[in-house]
Amino acid sequence: MKTTSSIISLKNVFKEYLLGDGSVFVALKNINFEIHQGEFSAIIGPSGSGKSTLMHVVGLLDKPSRGEIIINGKDVAKMNDNQTSVLRNSYVGFVFQQFNLLNKLTIKENILLPATYCKEKLDFDADQRAEMLMEKFGIISKKDSFPNKISGGQQQRVAVARALLMKPQLILADEPTGNLDHKTGNEIIDLFEELNKSENITIVMVTHEMEIAERTRRQIRILDGEIVNDNK
Amino acid sequence: MKITTEISLLLKSAWGDFRRDKVRTALTSLGITIGVLSVVLLIALGLGLKNYIEQTFESLGANLVMVMPGSGISSNGPAGMVGGGAEFDEKDVRDVRNIPNLKYVVPVYFRSIAISSADAEKIGYLMGVNEELFPLMDVKTVTGELWGKTDVGKKAKVAVLGYTIADDLFERPEDALGKTIRVESLRLKVVGIVEKTGDRETDRSAMIPYTATFGSLNPKKTFWAVYLGVPDEEMVSGVKGEAERILLKRYDKDEFSVTEQSEILKTVNQIFGIINLILIAIGSISLLVGGVGIMNIMYATVTERTREVGIRRALGATKRDILLQFLTESVVLSVFGGLIGLLLAALIVVIVRIWFPVALNLLAVVLAIGVSSAIGIFFGVFPAKKAADLSPMEAIRYE
Ligand SMILES: Nc1ncnc2c1ncn2[C@@H]1O[C@H](COP(=O)(O)OP(=O)(O)O)[C@@H](O)[C@H]1O
Ligand SMILES: [Mg+2]
Repeated sequence: MKTTSSIISLKNVFKEYLLGDGSVFVALKNINFEIHQGEFSAIIGPSGSGKSTLMHVVGLLDKPSRGEIIINGKDVAKMNDNQTSVLRNSYVGFVFQQFNLLNKLTIKENILLPATYCKEKLDFDADQRAEMLMEKFGIISKKDSFPNKISGGQQQRVAVARALLMKPQLILADEPTGNLDHKTGNEIIDLFEELNKSENITIVMVTHEMEIAERTRRQIRILDGEIVNDNK
Repeated sequence: MKITTEISLLLKSAWGDFRRDKVRTALTSLGITIGVLSVVLLIALGLGLKNYIEQTFESLGANLVMVMPGSGISSNGPAGMVGGGAEFDEKDVRDVRNIPNLKYVVPVYFRSIAISSADAEKIGYLMGVNEELFPLMDVKTVTGELWGKTDVGKKAKVAVLGYTIADDLFERPEDALGKTIRVESLRLKVVGIVEKTGDRETDRSAMIPYTATFGSLNPKKTFWAVYLGVPDEEMVSGVKGEAERILLKRYDKDEFSVTEQSEILKTVNQIFGIINLILIAIGSISLLVGGVGIMNIMYATVTERTREVGIRRALGATKRDILLQFLTESVVLSVFGGLIGLLLAALIVVIVRIWFPVALNLLAVVLAIGVSSAIGIFFGVFPAKKAADLSPMEAIRYE
C-alpha cells in the first residue's frame, strides 16, 4: 500500500465540545492518520469513544477545533461552506446507521438527490447510473417505492447506491450494519468488500462489532477520543 | 446549473412536499387566502362606492354650475338652511340671467319635509324650481306631464313626483296621477310621475313651481341654490367667473360658492381615495396575520425537518441550496394562497355586481399577487435562514 496516494490525512486533530455547564469535553484527542486510495479500513471502539465525531470531521460535516485535515493537498480549515459542500457532494459518500433516506422521495429520487446538488455538469448520465446501481444492488424493482415501504437491508442498499452515485473517492460508513440483523448486515459488508475489490473504492467504516471489523484489512482502534492502535 | 432549471427543480421539490401534506399546505395558505380576499374585496367595495356616487352625479346634467351658500359642499349639505351664508332671492336669479352663454337658470328652494296623500305621510324633499330644471336634469315622466313656464307664472299648485315618493304615498306610483298631496298647508295636484333615476333625492322629491312656495312655506322668498346650465363644457369656467363677479357685488366672498360638478366629483374622488386607503390598511392587517401564520408553520417545519436538512447537507447541499428550498416553499405557499383569495374575491365580486357596482381593478390583482409573494419572502426568510444555518453535524445527529 506504500505506493498509493493519500486521499485524506489528519494531523494532530482535536475536537472539543463546550458543554452546557461551561466545561470542555474533548471528543477527539490528537488524531493522526492517513487514508490511502483503495483501502478498506474499520474504525472500532466502544460506544461514546468518538467514532462518529471522527467520521463527521473526516466527512466535512464538522470542523475540528484544532489540527489539520488535508484533502487533495488542501487544508479543509481554509475552505468555505461552498467548497466543503462540493467535496461532500462528489468526493465523499456517506452511509449511516439510520440509513438517512428522505421518506417523501422515492428510492430512485433518493439515489439521484446528490446529483441535484452538483453545481457542475456531470461527465456521466446520473439517471442511467442510478438505474445501473439499483440493478446491481437488486433494488431496481423498488425504484418507485418509498423508503418506509422496503426492508432495512434494502434501505441500506439504497443508501450505498446514493453514496456511490457521484463516483466519490471515499465511502464513509458509520455503523452501516448497526440497524440490521446479522445476516443482512453481513450482506452489506459483502457489498463493500466487492466494491473495494473489483472497483478499488476506498472505504472507511465505523463499527463496534469485532466480527465486522475483522473483514477489513486495517483496523483503527479508538478509545476516549484517542487512537490506541492502528494496524496499517 | 442554469437558473431556470434550478427554479424548476425547487418548485418541483416544493410541490412534492405540499402534495404529501395537503392539509398543512391548505391551512398554511388559508391565512394568506383570507388576507388577500379581504384586501381585494375591500378595494372592490371602495371602488363600488365611488362608482355609485359617480353614477349619481352623472344623472345630474353634464355642464352644471351650482351657486350655493357657504363655502361649498363641504360646509353645507342640501338641507343647507343652517348656518350663515347667502340666502338667494329673485333679484339674484335675475342678475345671473344676464351672464352670457347660459342655457338654463334654475332657482332651487329645497327642503326635507313631510308629504302626505289621503292615506299616507312620508318624509320627502320639496323642490321649488322653474320649468328649466326638467331639461337641465333630463327629467322624464313615466306617466302624466311636466308643468311649464305658465304654471310658474300663475303660481300653480301642481307637482311632479319622484318615483319613490309616489310609490310610498300611493298603492302604485301611477295611481298618484291627478291626486292631491299636501305639504304643510299647501295642497298640490300631481300632474306627472318621474322615471326612477337611482338618485335618492330626485326619486323622493315633489317638484313644484318655486312661486308656489311663496307664502307660509317660504315667506322670505329665498332659494337654497341657483343651478346654471351651460351649453358647452368650455364655457363653464367663464360662467363660473362671471357668476362670482356678479354675486360679489351683494355678498361677501365666504357667503357663497360657485361650484362646477367636476369639482364636486374631484372632492368626492379625494374622499374615496382616503376611504380606499383606510380599507386597504384594514385588509392589510389580515394579510400580515396570514404572513405571521406562514412564518410560524415554516419555523415548525424547520425544526421538524432538521434531520432532512442534515441529510441534504451531507449530500452536498450548500447553505444557499437549503435557504432557497425553504424560501421557495413559503413563497409558493403564500402565492398559492393569494391566488385562491383572488379567485374567491373575483367570484364574490361577480355575484355582488348584480346589486351594487363593485369592481376589481388591476391594482387589486397586482396587490394580491405582489403582496402575497412579498409576504412569502419576508416571512419565509427567517425560518429559511435558520434552516440554512443549522450545523450539518448537529442536524444529522438530530433525533
Ligand atoms: N454536539 C455535541 N456536544 C457535546 N458532546 C458531544 C456532541 N457530540 C458528541 N458528543 C460527545 O462526544 C462523545 C463521542 O460521541 P460519538 O462520536 O457519537 O461516539 P461514538 O460514535 O463512538 O459512539 C460522546 O461522549 C458524546 O456524548
Ligand atoms: Mg456513533
